[in-house]
Amino acid sequence: MTTQTRTDPFPLRRYVVLAVKNLRRRMVRTSLTAAGVALAVTVAVSLGGFMLGYRGAIDESIDMLGFQIMIMAKGCPYEAATMMLKGGTGLLYLPADVYEKVKEDKEIESITPIFVGVAQKQGSGIRDDGGENNFLIVSGIDVASYQVMKPWITFKKGQGFDGGRWFTPESRTEVVLGFEAAEYEQRKVGDTFYASITPAGTPNAVLHELKVVGILDRTGTQDDGTVFLPLDVTREYFGRPGQLTILGIKLKQFSGEKMREFETRWLKLPEVQVVGLQQVKSTLVGLVATAQTMIAAVAVIAILVAFIGVINTILMSVYERTAEIGIMKALGARRDSIFQLIWLETVMICFAGAVAGSGVAVIGSSVVERAIKAVADLGVSGSIVRITPAVIGYAVLGAVVLGFFAGLYPAWRASSMRPVEAIGKGN
Amino acid sequence: MTFFVRLLVFTLPQVAFGAIGCTLSNPAEDLKYLYPQMTTFKEELKEFPRLPNGSAQYKGLKARLGSDLDPIYEAYETPYTVYSVFQGSTRIGVVHGVNVPGKGGVIQVFLSLDPGTAAIQKFFFQRLESPAARALRAKEFREQFHGLTLADFYKHDYYAAAEPAAKTDRVGAIKPPVMDGAARPDYLASLRGIRKNLILLDYFVFGNRFEPFFERAREAAAKGKSRKD
Repeated sequence: MTTQTRTDPFPLRRYVVLAVKNLRRRMVRTSLTAAGVALAVTVAVSLGGFMLGYRGAIDESIDMLGFQIMIMAKGCPYEAATMMLKGGTGLLYLPADVYEKVKEDKEIESITPIFVGVAQKQGSGIRDDGGENNFLIVSGIDVASYQVMKPWITFKKGQGFDGGRWFTPESRTEVVLGFEAAEYEQRKVGDTFYASITPAGTPNAVLHELKVVGILDRTGTQDDGTVFLPLDVTREYFGRPGQLTILGIKLKQFSGEKMREFETRWLKLPEVQVVGLQQVKSTLVGLVATAQTMIAAVAVIAILVAFIGVINTILMSVYERTAEIGIMKALGARRDSIFQLIWLETVMICFAGAVAGSGVAVIGSSVVERAIKAVADLGVSGSIVRITPAVIGYAVLGAVVLGFFAGLYPAWRASSMRPVEAIGKGN
Repeated sequence: MTFFVRLLVFTLPQVAFGAIGCTLSNPAEDLKYLYPQMTTFKEELKEFPRLPNGSAQYKGLKARLGSDLDPIYEAYETPYTVYSVFQGSTRIGVVHGVNVPGKGGVIQVFLSLDPGTAAIQKFFFQRLESPAARALRAKEFREQFHGLTLADFYKHDYYAAAEPAAKTDRVGAIKPPVMDGAARPDYLASLRGIRKNLILLDYFVFGNRFEPFFERAREAAAKGKSRKD
């Protein structure tokens, strides 16, 4: 007589089926444990998405600036950084001769002079005294060199916007509006536009009546909220002839070394600072680094709580099933089979929690983004939370690894039980 | 100042072109200023596409306003925010603002109304850039509108067609501020803003209670036209 041993071609399937059955027996407890893991994964995925998205948003914002280096009057680096990204309010001005000197630099591929001023909107607010004032960012630009820096700028088309163009350099009354500036002021091409500008050294604003000759397409940068005028006219209106706020520069070859060389050459001018995009990036990243560390600490705590919760749940499950495990062993279940079963249950809970948590993070990413933007001005526009498949993949993998470790002790306890003792204790 | 730069650069990019609404800059403070006895307030977003009869009402707005609507900035999708002000559980005021294109920029016209009578309690500008800004903001000018309802504006249309220079025409009796000719478009835009505001509130809050006045004005205008023909 011969004995044939039939082996299951899919042994893991039996473990999975059994593990699912076990987990479903205590559905509420299983769900709550998975929810704990899901919460930790949601925090981790959101944080990962924020870190990735914020750095990406800074890179994009810097790319959309059009220039790699900015020369401006000496001041706070944060002010410089936000000025580059947001348009800023540029209250410090470069002397007239800086542009003439810098543009002769042989390493420069292109350079554009910009004058940024803040026009005061006439009294706004509901109070009888006029209340608060509103402000308008006015950029005086040299169109030819500005277009070289930002070739992607186009004019909005369609009803009310057709025929948009740049102003002529000598025009004193033509204005081009950024996308949001036009929307906010409800202007169309051909409309009149009022700007109250207070010339330097005078107490009273002068109301200028301008004609809108073009409205720009949305760029996602500070240009959207800006009112553009010819450079010389702007400086004249602000009473600062010859002065500039920013020199935007593109080098022929851009590298850290070239940047340092350029900086060394021009920092000899006592009144200027040279700001490179890497500096801007590190300044802005540094500003949120502390906040990110704190959020990361919260995420770590959430993960630890979930880890302990998973161990506790599986351990309780093992104690409840002491007799059952004893019977399984008495019927021939091997020690490693019991270990694998308990271990698999742990990993499954963590995997389910990770999938659910990732889903919540993806669905709630816009809420997270709005919340972050509501509590902190991060100096960039565009999306700052980017949850990519890689972020989700790492989070799920992390949760599974967590499950591996969390399941070790309960699985060892279960597999170490002696059948007779276990049956006795269980009964 | 940073607040306004942020407002300009960050808040607005989220809004689609043209469908920009008109909200109070600081609702809690502004409403408390208007109604010192206020204990709570409620904001309600109103949009024609979400109203049961929105399409017809939007079309009717042009007829009631007596002027064309800007296809971009006074579009069908434009959102409107109505503020209800409460003292305890009693509604003591309704506040609403509209954007109207002025000559050199947007004009934001706000009205606070008595919730019972729908009469103007206060008229004010939140934004106004104009050579006539000082004159239009003057208390003496704005106070002339206090106590008026949408019925008075429709009656003004009626009197214009049937009884020109009637002494009971309260809107016709409003004295424009002293200003030069270049500023007149902003004065007219402000009047249009008040009227548009009242019509919208009649739609959104007061259940079209002033429609009979509009019908009478329309009939009078039609009769006047046929007499001329």
